[in-house]
Amino acid sequence: MNTDSAISESIEQAADSVGSVWPLHSFVTANPLAGFEDQPFHEAVERAEDLLGGDGYPSPDVFRRAWETGQIDSDVLAAKLDEHGYDADPETLLDRLEATADSTPDIDTAETPADRVDAVLTKWLAAFLDQGTATWSMPDREQGFYAAVRSVAPHDGAIPDGSADAWPAAPTDAIERVLADHPRDAWPAVFEHHLTALPGWTGFIKQRAADDDAWQSTYPITLAGYLAVRLTLTDLFDAQVLPADPSTDAEATDDDSVALEEVWLSAWEASYRSELVEAVADRSATAAETDEDGRPDAQFVFCIDTRSEIIRRHIETAGDYETHGYAGFFGIPMRYEGYDADVSVDACPPILDAQHRITDRPTADAGDQATYDRWSSVTEAGGKLIKSLKSNAATAFSYVESAGSGYGLALAARTLLPGRVYDAHEATDERVPDAHEFCEPSVDYNPDAVTEIREGLTLDEQVEYAATAFELMGWEQFARLVVVAGHASQTANNPFDSSLDCGACAGNPGGPNARVLATICNDEAVRAELRERGHDIPEDTVFVAGEHNTTTDEVELYDGAVPESHADDLEQLRADLETARAGAAAERADDMGAGENAGVRETERRAADWAETRPEWGLAGNAGFVVGPRELTENLDLDGRSFLHSYDWATDDDGDALEAIVTGPMVVTQWINTQYYFATVDNGVYGSGSKVTHNPVGNVGVYQGNGGDLMTGLPLQSLMAADDEPYHQPLRLSTVIHAPVERVTEILANNEAVTELLDNGWLSLTVVDPEQDHRAFHYDGELSWTDHETAATVTPTPTDEATAEATADD
Amino acid sequence: MTGQTGPKTVGQLPNTSTSTPRAPAVFTRFVWALFVASLGALVARQLTGGSWEAPGLVVVDGLTVLLWVVVTFFSGIVHSYSRRYMAGSEHVTRFFTRLFAFTLSVMVLVAADHVALFGAAWLAMGLVMADLIGTVRGWPQAQAAAALARRYFVASSLLLGAALATLAWATGATTVSGILTAVDTVSNSILLVAAGLLLLAAMVQSALIPFHTWLLSSMTAPTPASALMHAGFVNAGGILLLRFAPVVTVDATFMLLVTVVGAASALLGKLLKAVQTDVKRKLGCSTTGQMGFMIAQAGLGFFGAAIAHLILHGFYKAYLFLSTGEQVEHTSPEKSTTGTATLVGGAVTLLTAVAGGALFALLTGKGTHLDSGLLLTGLISLTTLHATWTVVKNTDVPAAFRYGAVPLVFLPAIAVYAGVYTAVAAVLAGVPLVTAPTDLTLVHGLVAVAFLVAYVAIETGAYQRSHRLYVALVNASQPSSGTLLTATEDYNEY
Repeated sequence: MNTDSAISESIEQAADSVGSVWPLHSFVTANPLAGFEDQPFHEAVERAEDLLGGDGYPSPDVFRRAWETGQIDSDVLAAKLDEHGYDADPETLLDRLEATADSTPDIDTAETPADRVDAVLTKWLAAFLDQGTATWSMPDREQGFYAAVRSVAPHDGAIPDGSADAWPAAPTDAIERVLADHPRDAWPAVFEHHLTALPGWTGFIKQRAADDDAWQSTYPITLAGYLAVRLTLTDLFDAQVLPADPSTDAEATDDDSVALEEVWLSAWEASYRSELVEAVADRSATAAETDEDGRPDAQFVFCIDTRSEIIRRHIETAGDYETHGYAGFFGIPMRYEGYDADVSVDACPPILDAQHRITDRPTADAGDQATYDRWSSVTEAGGKLIKSLKSNAATAFSYVESAGSGYGLALAARTLLPGRVYDAHEATDERVPDAHEFCEPSVDYNPDAVTEIREGLTLDEQVEYAATAFELMGWEQFARLVVVAGHASQTANNPFDSSLDCGACAGNPGGPNARVLATICNDEAVRAELRERGHDIPEDTVFVAGEHNTTTDEVELYDGAVPESHADDLEQLRADLETARAGAAAERADDMGAGENAGVRETERRAADWAETRPEWGLAGNAGFVVGPRELTENLDLDGRSFLHSYDWATDDDGDALEAIVTGPMVVTQWINTQYYFATVDNGVYGSGSKVTHNPVGNVGVYQGNGGDLMTGLPLQSLMAADDEPYHQPLRLSTVIHAPVERVTEILANNEAVTELLDNGWLSLTVVDPEQDHRAFHYDGELSWTDHETAATVTPTPTDEATAEATADD
Repeated sequence: MTGQTGPKTVGQLPNTSTSTPRAPAVFTRFVWALFVASLGALVARQLTGGSWEAPGLVVVDGLTVLLWVVVTFFSGIVHSYSRRYMAGSEHVTRFFTRLFAFTLSVMVLVAADHVALFGAAWLAMGLVMADLIGTVRGWPQAQAAAALARRYFVASSLLLGAALATLAWATGATTVSGILTAVDTVSNSILLVAAGLLLLAAMVQSALIPFHTWLLSSMTAPTPASALMHAGFVNAGGILLLRFAPVVTVDATFMLLVTVVGAASALLGKLLKAVQTDVKRKLGCSTTGQMGFMIAQAGLGFFGAAIAHLILHGFYKAYLFLSTGEQVEHTSPEKSTTGTATLVGGAVTLLTAVAGGALFALLTGKGTHLDSGLLLTGLISLTTLHATWTVVKNTDVPAAFRYGAVPLVFLPAIAVYAGVYTAVAAVLAGVPLVTAPTDLTLVHGLVAVAFLVAYVAIETGAYQRSHRLYVALVNASQPSSGTLLTATEDYNEY
């Protein structure tokens, strides 16, 4: 018993080195090196390179390109190089970097015993972890991975010994059998070595065991079970149980100078950051003087997603509109089940657990529902029929002959007329009602529901979520229409479609969450309570949910609940949204290299084209996160590179709202940012490689080519304009917060996890202090700050005067 | 401040002005031009009849123009698709050059009359395809897969070479047409040797079991290249057997062997497919099965049906390959329940099945005589039966759909197929021995029984009890281990 728990604890620790991998259908963003975040960035990437073989910094080539295109400011670079004692000129240093990088490790193609272990293991992992691709699944899966492999082993000629001697009944016995000759203190190293051997599959097992979804409870798999199989195979194939002598550790400690790559990278980051910070500080000063504008025609709440920045800018120029940024799950940690859906999804960031079950319930229009039901049952029956005909050996051949001509037509249409395919989709959409047209989310708390989590939200919770939203965004006045817009992508033939959906909703569309918040805010009882908490929503304010299609920039409004009195406002809004869409689509099409005049039609083609590997740029380019009122970034073109969270320091006296933003959205944006960073610097190890050779496996992931380890992270086409031309610039996130420095210091002092991230250099933080002449201060580690202009170190201590001053200013 | 010229830009991303190579556009236009020309040739040949030839070198007959149209269509689709799909790839020029070279080599193959030209085109086709499998140069697993495929294709070329040499030596002719007219003068045993060699070459090229490993290890090819491989390349086996039909059909027992070899691959391929978890290998196993069926059709003497099958299968498989990205679903582990059926449902099912078979027999003439055509008509009836039964059992859908769908959708589909088959037969008129139905034998009966048993076994899931069979199937469908990417750092595309 005791050894069992010691083993599992040791395995758990070793598993920190492997990043969690989520199934493709809900592409959750995470730092692939999340387990190393307790180490300084440069040490972490070095350690990860030893274990996983991935590069931690951009290649010299990428630096050179950035240097030549002026992305790296020469003054900033010179200062940084000087600071760290590099006195050669940049060109020479790049040459030097290139020279060391050129010694590419030669790949050993001879088959080793470890390769044989990997081949057998990946074969059975794919069979066990399959989620419905195979019609004949691996036998005995319900007994767990180890037992299932144990039961096929005697028949598998590729396994040297399948007898019970080699495969004891319990997985822990198997581990102990293999490790019996090894000293206990070597075990953690053994576990780490074997867990990082196939990091794609083990990362998936780690995530699946932790999330405990329906597949996991039906067919359980644990890291211990996996290691039992792997170590047994290692033993049977005579492969190395202990990792080779870790002599690399010795050279890692040879000097404590900052690596040249780190200097180049931080100079590049500082160049971007200066531009952003100076623009924000500038606006902070001017915005403080000009104040007070009238009630806008409508207000929008968009996700903090970088793509929102573009559409927000275009909406603001299309009319008298005000836009806000808020985490795209709109603060509601819900498990959502769509109408007629087989599975429910957790529509909230993985930092939180879903707490409310929300289902789509049909309401008014029975006719629409019947049409929808008929359509969906017929298409489903058709799909089932085709599947059944294809999978039966006796019918598949005649099926192919009878249906072949139809496939030929579809082949030609989808390849030669992708724009028309989009039109056809739209036409079908028109004819068949969408579920959201006759359904409403089950918002109200249902005490009788028998589900694993509570159904709906109580009144108190509803009020709480609404109030939190307004407080975090520093909301003070309400227009006649308030649009809450989630976002989703629309792509064809794209296994990575969910990587383009809302990251705050764990790779799901954000529309359902928007509907829940809008429904709450339209509720009279909620409004009455909100009024008591100081949020006075006028009688004539109507909340409308919507969804921003990030591929075509169309903003669809779910206007079912809008009263007749607001029909004119709505009509005007729609017209302006069309204008905004045209502008945003033209800008984005240009970014995708389609030319300035391409616009909406081009984005529609990309949404429907099965041959398109770059339907949209997603969050590529992300580099900044601005926390502050929109006035600071209004009239700035941030080129879709910055997350924007609305926040008003003046309405947040106790700093609670800011603390929530720093510990929530800021951490999530850092995950997204590091995911893009690492996938760009090493697309093979931390990304999925090129889409053109992808092979989806088991409904959970993709292989490159024939099989092997599961690929993890973003594909090449999400990051690169061409194989040798990065579109995404691998920069760590630059956060800019608009608030008094002392307030931020205090929050950091209370939240060690966030401070650790900052101190270890996983992201940077700059504060533009409205109370100190709108000057900017860079966080310098250990709760100290440097002035952006003078580079002088300041260690502000919260004083009574400062606080008194702040209140006096108001 | 920047004034009124629009919002001030902050941290603008640099322009990524990717230079677009010219090869994709040029080759795509060229291949579509070839398609139009082939269509023209097909029409002209149908109007004028007969064949055009450059004596001793090429002969353009019905099979030639038909396959020209087919291969340029598939190639055109793949070219057009790849222009967007492969955009930004550093291999794009080489990729398009290979695609186009492959197209040309197939066009030469189907027109070649001189045995040396025929053999050379066959070899060229294989070498170019192997190169496409290894499109990504810096990726060791892709190179291993290419090398494996190359070995198979060189072997099949040697087999073909040996067959051609034997026939040329025995007949004294150096052209395919010359050999075929002189077949009567050659002794049976020599013809059997040649036929055996031809069958082996066809099996390798069509990835029939046990020569399927190259196909299941070929997924390192970019998706459009796989589409072309599964819609075009693997068909070569069927084309070879049709070209040399007079040799292959010389012995009825040998035809039985062809049927059995094909049927075995057809059923085993489907079984292999059942255990696959990745999309492309699943499609690969399906191709092995479909090609087996096509060869079995040839073995039954229906060479025209085999050609129709490979064209229609090409549409189907190219579509599925090009849409592999769509195959990721969010599923739940619950098993779906099957519905129940009523007496009315049973009656509708039977009637529809009989109607399906009858319609097919009527339109194609297959199955109206007591010969091997009965087998094919029987399969059509079984498929119709199964389709109707599946829908009729599904009580979730409206009754009108349940009883009407299959008669209204499936019967026209059968008619379309029959139309394609008759059209193919018409175009092929004049090609030696397009249809040579064989007499029914005990072996045919066994093949029919095997299909029925397979149908029942799959419907009941009875075969799923054997762990041994499961493991054997999984192992038989493993790619060559050197082509597996187990260490992702080996993958350095850029």
